Amino acid sequence: MNATQPGMAPPDLTRGYRLARWLKSLWGLNLALGVISVSTLAGLWQFAGPLGIPGLEDVPPPSAVVVAATDLLVSEQYWNGWLKSFQRIGIGFVIAQFIGIPLGLAMAISRGAFGTIFPIIEILRPIPPVAWIPISIVFWPTREQSVIFIVFLGAFWIVLLNTIGGASNIDSAYKRAALSLGSKPRDLFWKIILPATIPSIVTGMAVGMGISWEMVVASEMIAGDTGLGYLLWQSFQINAISHVIVCMVSIGIAGYFSSGLIRLLGGFAAPWQRLH
Amino acid sequence: MASVGGLQIANAGKIYDPGGIHVVAVDNVSLSIPPGEFCVVVGPSGCGKTTLLNAIAGFDQLTSGTIDMDGELLASPGKKLLPGPDRMVVFQHGALFPWKTVLWNVTSGPVKRGQAQMAEAADKARELMSRVGLQGIDDQFPEALSGGQKRRVEIVRALMSNPKVLLLDEPFRALDALTKSVVQEHLLELYDFERKTIFFITHDLEEAIFLADRVAVMTTRPGRIKKIVDVDIPRPRDHHVLTTDRFLELKSELGEAIYEEAKLAFEAGERELA
Repeated sequence: MNATQPGMAPPDLTRGYRLARWLKSLWGLNLALGVISVSTLAGLWQFAGPLGIPGLEDVPPPSAVVVAATDLLVSEQYWNGWLKSFQRIGIGFVIAQFIGIPLGLAMAISRGAFGTIFPIIEILRPIPPVAWIPISIVFWPTREQSVIFIVFLGAFWIVLLNTIGGASNIDSAYKRAALSLGSKPRDLFWKIILPATIPSIVTGMAVGMGISWEMVVASEMIAGDTGLGYLLWQSFQINAISHVIVCMVSIGIAGYFSSGLIRLLGGFAAPWQRLH
Repeated sequence: MASVGGLQIANAGKIYDPGGIHVVAVDNVSLSIPPGEFCVVVGPSGCGKTTLLNAIAGFDQLTSGTIDMDGELLASPGKKLLPGPDRMVVFQHGALFPWKTVLWNVTSGPVKRGQAQMAEAADKARELMSRVGLQGIDDQFPEALSGGQKRRVEIVRALMSNPKVLLLDEPFRALDALTKSVVQEHLLELYDFERKTIFFITHDLEEAIFLADRVAVMTTRPGRIKKIVDVDIPRPRDHHVLTTDRFLELKSELGEAIYEEAKLAFEAGERELA
């Protein structure tokens, strides 16, 4: 006797299919909700001025921002701003990784290194990077370098602390397992400590990238002569609020792309973490 | 029956002294495990079972006594710690390297030590894994596996190094009851296949009797051997054993001894908290 009738899907398959369909409908629902909420917000914003909602009289409506955007999108200054900001992020952020990661690993491994360097870090770290801007302008020969330095600071502390944290909290069972399997104690750094720390480093990079964008915008406003932050501030100075909003959105998009880049890099450096 | 992997634990002791607080973890334990025996140590949490296992594995030093394997000194106070592939450990919380695939995890030991070519090791790994119901997971990362799969992979990794002794530190503690009984049967399957000496730690009495040739009950801190009982249930065993009269007899015989210790451990814990 056969329990399954011909032409009838086995129960598992039916369940899986129903689950898939349900997920799909959920996704469709979320998309619909997203479109509704975003367009409602845009609508409210558009009519906020005419409706006389207090505080929003002087904020240009989305239609004006779109017009301003077409203005900016053909200007060379705008695209140069993207380039400059990205350059500063690129240089400052990368230097922060090159110094922060090895230093963090060294501090996690060597008690001496930790004891020597940690007090300095604890004194300097609570100072917000923006507070470094004046000193940075005085210290570094060019404005460019001072902006890069602030970006560097933004990413440096967080990657340093994440590296120390990750490398000093490795389950000792991994090291013991490696030793049992025949590794020499001196091999543990490359075989265990480094790979086990990568996820923490990637997390530090993701957070650090966000802070770097905050820092590049702030320091371009104060010390820059190019870049998206500078352009934003200039637009404000000449009361071109639509342009200010376009710059804000641009910085948001740039930050989003940068985080995407880090996620991509993270997936490449720690493929086993993609599951999460 | 194996002819290597006999363990001789003689008057082993371990005293921790963190900040001058004298804690006797293991007190004068003597235990002789002949080659090929499946020996299970049962005891309440914190009774020094793991300390003893770590001393055999070469992770931790004794403060008194000696441990020999096949007549060679493994551990004594002040002796250099030497973990190695002749004593493979399966860890309580698992220690498969999450950043490497399953196949890499189980083959890298023998391959890196130059004892096997990759292809040969991979064949052996696949054979052992299929014996315990693991197939088609070579290229997975450990985190993608279920708890029961991870434990089996880790046991296979240990066996791949062809150790003289297999040391298991409460390996099934985190598994649910059903998974646990399946994985226990798989472990017995592998044991019956190779008959390696096994030193197994648990606080689960049923698990101990089900698996062991001999069960040693340890006292609560300071850890001593309280009682040793031979489990004369014939092998191969499967879960039907759990309901036999002999199993229940052994369970009640050992249960009394364990309950006393569990109670003492609990009271000691209460005292420490008070």
